[in-house]
Parts: sequence; C-alpha cells; structure tokens
Amino acid sequence: MKTPWLILSLGLFAVGCSDDSGTVATSDFDDTVVIQNYVDSVMVPKYSLLATRAQALEAAVETFAADRTQANLEAAQQAWRDARQPWEQSETSLFGPVDVNGYDPAIDSWPLNLTDLNAVLASDVELTQAYFDGLDASIKGFHAVELKLFGADGMQTPDGLNPRELQYLRFAAADVAKTANLLADSWTAGQTPYAEVFRTAGEANNTSYPSRSAAAQEIVTGMITILDEVANGKISDPYNQRDQGLVESPYSFNSIRDFSDNIRGAKSAYMGDFDLASKNGRGLDEWIAERDPQLNDRVIQEFDAAIEAIEAIPAPFRDAILDDAGRAKIQSAIDAILVVKNTVESDVQPTVRGDR
Amino acid sequence: MNSAKTVGVFIVATLVGCGGDQSAEPPLAGGLTTVDEASSHAFMQPASNLDDAAMDLHLAGDVAFEAKFVTAPAPVNAGLGPLFNNNSCNACHLRNGRGVPAVGGQGLRSHMLVRVSEADGEQPREAGNVPTAEFGDQIQDHGVFGVEPEAIVEITWTEIPGQFADGEPYSLRKPVVKLTRPDGSLVEGILTSLRQAPPVFGLGLLEAVPAQTLIELEDPDDKNDDGISGRVNHVWSNQLQDFVVGRFGWKSNQPDLYQQSASAYRGDMGVGSPGYPDAEGNIEIETEIVEAAAFYARSLGVPKQRDFAGREQFRAAGCDACHVEKLSTGFSEFEFLADQEFAPFSDLLLHDMGEGLADGRGDFLASGTEWRTAPLWGIGLTQTVAPGATYLHDGRARTLAEAILWHGGEGEKSKERFRNMSKPDRDALLDFLQNL
Repeated sequence: MKTPWLILSLGLFAVGCSDDSGTVATSDFDDTVVIQNYVDSVMVPKYSLLATRAQALEAAVETFAADRTQANLEAAQQAWRDARQPWEQSETSLFGPVDVNGYDPAIDSWPLNLTDLNAVLASDVELTQAYFDGLDASIKGFHAVELKLFGADGMQTPDGLNPRELQYLRFAAADVAKTANLLADSWTAGQTPYAEVFRTAGEANNTSYPSRSAAAQEIVTGMITILDEVANGKISDPYNQRDQGLVESPYSFNSIRDFSDNIRGAKSAYMGDFDLASKNGRGLDEWIAERDPQLNDRVIQEFDAAIEAIEAIPAPFRDAILDDAGRAKIQSAIDAILVVKNTVESDVQPTVRGDR
Repeated sequence: MNSAKTVGVFIVATLVGCGGDQSAEPPLAGGLTTVDEASSHAFMQPASNLDDAAMDLHLAGDVAFEAKFVTAPAPVNAGLGPLFNNNSCNACHLRNGRGVPAVGGQGLRSHMLVRVSEADGEQPREAGNVPTAEFGDQIQDHGVFGVEPEAIVEITWTEIPGQFADGEPYSLRKPVVKLTRPDGSLVEGILTSLRQAPPVFGLGLLEAVPAQTLIELEDPDDKNDDGISGRVNHVWSNQLQDFVVGRFGWKSNQPDLYQQSASAYRGDMGVGSPGYPDAEGNIEIETEIVEAAAFYARSLGVPKQRDFAGREQFRAAGCDACHVEKLSTGFSEFEFLADQEFAPFSDLLLHDMGEGLADGRGDFLASGTEWRTAPLWGIGLTQTVAPGATYLHDGRARTLAEAILWHGGEGEKSKERFRNMSKPDRDALLDFLQNL
C-alpha cells in the first residue's frame, strides 16, 4: 500500500510547488486543427461573405437609385436581407477587431437615433460625402439602410423617397459596404491580421490566447452569449413588455430571420462549418464526439430544434408578440433556445475546460 | 491505518517543501466572485456566487450597461446629449475592459475623454477642482444633431527613447493633447488631463473594503521609511453630504459606484438622472437605471489568476508595496461581497508617481503628480478582451513593460529594479502580470 500513496503524495508535492515550475494545467483542450479551422472555415468566410454581400447591397441600391422601379426596390431589399445574414451569423464571435475598431457600432447600431436622422434629412445642409462621414454612427448602418429601403411601416414604394433621402440611402449603403470590407480586412490584412492571432493560440508570445484552451473557451462562451442574448434579450424584451419599439429589424419584418441566423451562427461556430459559403472542417462537434458522442448528438439536435422553433413563429415578429397564438410559439422558441444554451453551458463548456 | 499515516507525513513534507505562504493554487483573485474565463468574455461574467435575486439584478444591469442612448424624443433610451463623449457605457468600457486610445468622430467614437479645470479660482465644496466656465470639468467632443461639440480633441504622441541596464533599447510615448473649438480657435490656459476608460469588473469588492482598512494602509509621512507614502483621497459624497474615502477613478475621486455611474451618465453621455441633471437640467433616466448599471459593475466576477510564476520577481522589484496582493471586505449589504479575501493588486491609495506621469491637475486631496494604484487583476487578459487596448490613465503605455517604465516618484525605485533586471527576470515579471 505504501507505494501508491507515495506516488500520490509526490503528485501533490509537484502541484504544490507550481509557482516554481510555472504551470497550472486548467484544461485538456489542445486541438490545433479545431482552432485553425475556426479561422479558415468560420471567421474569415463569414466576414468575407459579409463584405461581398454588403457590396452587392451597395450596387443594388445604386441600381434602384438610377431606376426606381418596384423590381429594383425589391432587389435592393433582398440584397439587404442577404447581407444581413452573414452578419447575424457572425454575432456568435464578437471578439477581436469587430468591437474595438468600432465596426459593430458602425454597421449595426440599434436603436437608430431617429430624432437625429430625421433632423439631418429635414435640414438644408448640403448632403455631401464629407458631411455624411462626419455624422454619428447611430444614424448609419444596416438599420438606417433598412428604414429607407423598407419604410417606417415596412411599406416602402419606389417613389417613396425624396431626393435627399435617396442620397442618404446611397451614402449609408456604401458606408455599410466600406465597414464590412474593413472588418473582413482586419482578419486577413494589415500588420497583424487577427486571423493570425487566433490561429496561433497557444504558441509562444501569443499574449491574447496563451493556450488553445483559451481559444476554445472563446468559441464556446461566444455561443452561450448569443444564445442567451437571443432568448433573454432580443426575443424576450419585446415579448415580455409587449413593446414593438424594442423589436430589432422591425422595418424589414426580418426579426425572425435575424434570430434564427444568430442561432445558426452559434451552431456554425460549434460545427466549424459555414454553410452559406459551403465551408466545413473539424469543429468542436468532432472534438466533443470523440469524448462524448451522445452529448454531441444532443447538442446538434437541440440546435436544430431551436432553429425550427424560431422559424415556427408567425411573421412578422412585431405582431406575433401581441397575439396569443404568436406568443405561444414565441415562448416555445425561447424555451428551445434555453435548452441548447443550458447544454452548452453545463456540458460542453466544462468538457472544453477539462472540468469533467 | 499505515496508509493514513503515510499521507500525513507527505502532506507535512509538501508544506515544508514549498515554504512560506506559497500554496498550490494562486489566490482567488476575486474571492468567491472569481470566474474561470480566459476569453474575450473574461470581464463580462457574473460573479460566481450570485443567488437568483442578485443574478436577476445583474442581468437588468447588463441591459442598462449596454443600452445605446439616442436623442430625445425616442421610444427607447432617449436622452443622449446634447453634448456627450459616447452613447453607451460599454462603448468606452469595451467588453467591460479598457478602451483603445482613440478620439474623434468618423465612425469610431471617442474611447477617451479630457478632464479640464482652472488652475485658480473658487472651488465648489463638492468638486475636486475648479471647473472651467466654458466647459465645466470635461470636454464633450460630440453633440447631437445641431449642437456643436465643445471642442475637437486631437492627440499626437511624442516618443521618448530609453534603454534597460543590459542595453536593450525601448521607446515610451507621451500624449500631446490639442483642443480646438468648432470655430477653429485653440483652447489654452486651462489644466487638462487625458483619461482612458478603466475596466469595470470587481468594483463591488473594492467598494466593500472598510474605509478603516485603507486608512490603516496609509503612510503619508513614510514612517516606515520605504520611500512609499500612500494616502487616502477624501472626496465629496452626494449621498452623505460629507467627505468620505475616495475609491474609484484614476485619482480616487469618486466615493461609490452609484455616484461614479450617475456622474458618467451625465458627464460622458449627457444623460441626466435624479440629483444629476444634464447640462440642460433634464432628468432622462430614473434612479433605478443608475442603480442597475452600478449593480452590474458591482456584481461582475473577477477572472482567476492563472499562474504565479514570476511572483518572486514581482516582489523583488517591490511592486507589491503598492500593488498589494491581498485585501478583504467586511460587512456588505450585498451578501456575495461580504467577508471576502481577494487579490486586486492595489491598495486604492494615492501615490506620487513623479513628473513623467503627472497631469498637474489636482482632484480633492490628490495632487497633480498623484494617482491611485491601479488594480492589476485581470490585466493579463487586456489584449484578449480588446486587442490594441492600452495602459495607464491616458493609454500611453502600449505594453505592460512600458507601463512599468513610466513609474516614477514613489514607484521610481521599483521601476529602476525592473530596468536593471536581467532579461529572463524581466520576462518572468511580465509573465506574472500576463497570468493575472
């Protein structure tokens, strides 16, 4: 009996002096492929597709501005929805330059500062590019474009915009495209492309992600955060308060798609795939499956159930919060999102951290 | 039975082997509030020990802290401005951490601000210095539509070369602030101090340290002759209508989180609350919203210290004389904060940091060369939370090494010890910070 105790005690001893040896193990996650694939199949393609589709939005707005037909308006509206999709799917990963460099507030400020926006549009200051550039981010971005493309009541008509509004719409769409491009570049170009920071997690001198486990935590906590925000914020706030003023993307009636794309984005982060760009590779799903295949099956199934439950909410969301049938579907969607959130929080996260 | 004895023997051996106060794990940085999160979300986690009621308050606070204010009238978040620096709490406290040293408009709003005051004049009892007639105590460099900003802030950086004792060169940079009125005239003849937004987690613990503890840590006349004095700031409390111990802000000029938050709503966003009306006398949010934002900061968890290699060098340089490794809370009306032992690496006291860092602008008892010891907990996660974020009150330090090299005055001796260390020792000390 003595020998095993001796070994155990020596083990304690070694841990006890870790201030000298310099390491305290916290996780067994050490999968380079998962981290690199997250850059190559998820982050870079998401931002790249956002940049491409934002450019298409700018082009569609230009086409509409040059020839104001119903077809051109609808094409521009569709381009807005298309550009919105990779952005919403990227919100599971709001780390790195997107926040620090101000791209998130520039592209997705919510609520819009309508008082200021209306004042700018009503004023007689010449609307030049320089003047537009000096205006605040809270009257630009996706939602400013949305307001003018779809109208405050969602009923925009081809001749519904006056010349100044049309000019503002063109500047705002171009600004979204410019910002999306800067965001994509921040990951792939310049002196320290952020793709390299994340890709080299765990390598010497990487002070942002000193371990691959920290990078995996980034992915998982991002998933939990967006699941929580959609269930307990974006859906719950207007639902609980029966307040249409709290609904995001209300002009385009796009809220339900925003929500489901947020959840698809979290699933994409888990899978290491990005369906919109036909990208796939080794994700946390495979890493988890090697340790607990049943857990992995459950996570995927719960993600799909949550997406299905959101899509079962009758559109538009801003009306669904006010009628009984709609409210029942909304409650089911909230519940389904919280199911997968709890699984990620209680089972996936501890596995990645090495706590179970 | 034999086995049990064997265990006992080896446990003793373990303790002896490690010596002193060294223990198996680093101390819990935030006591029982500590969270295990090393990602960009590290400063955004609720304390680990919140009960359901406290968690509900925390989540309400989270909403308040994120809320983007807009110009009134508006159905939600009305009340921005008329003058402001930014439009939400976390627009400057990026992901609850430091901002990046950016000012101006053009998409990226200011993450910094410039405090101003007059060198002479009559100081109101509740103010830390003499506000300027033109700007008050802060330059608001943004205005809502139709309102000119008070001034345009431009920062240029002057590089100052230096070298370590082993010959390795370094360069420090110092900001030069230029203030221009919208009419093009230069703002001159007032005292200015450039400020960066500090991290906001763990503040509940700092608020719950008994005032007596801080007073006992004081050594204004340096009686122990260690070259370090350290003193408490005494600042005006709007709630108590009296002078109390200062705890928050780069010069410890705020007594508590409510006053800090209400002042920031008013000063930084132009959002008035009861007792803190905005420049036009408007009250735009209720006390409950300020309470919620204050509670959010109060109830955020502190990321755990991940390792303590390099502690020897940290102590050898004498960093721990001011960046004290252990503080305790006493009674707190918030159960999750009461009687916690934690490791902020700060004494919350004012220290003379020398001419290099001086802003020449006093604040209550704080002189123009004094600054509050900045807590170091979580500092190693700064770049993870916000790549490009910088250190010290005005964001001049691009790296932790630069931050150390700016220390002067009471920190001069420690700075020199660091400068004279071998490269491996300097790296070990920086590793220690990196793991906080």
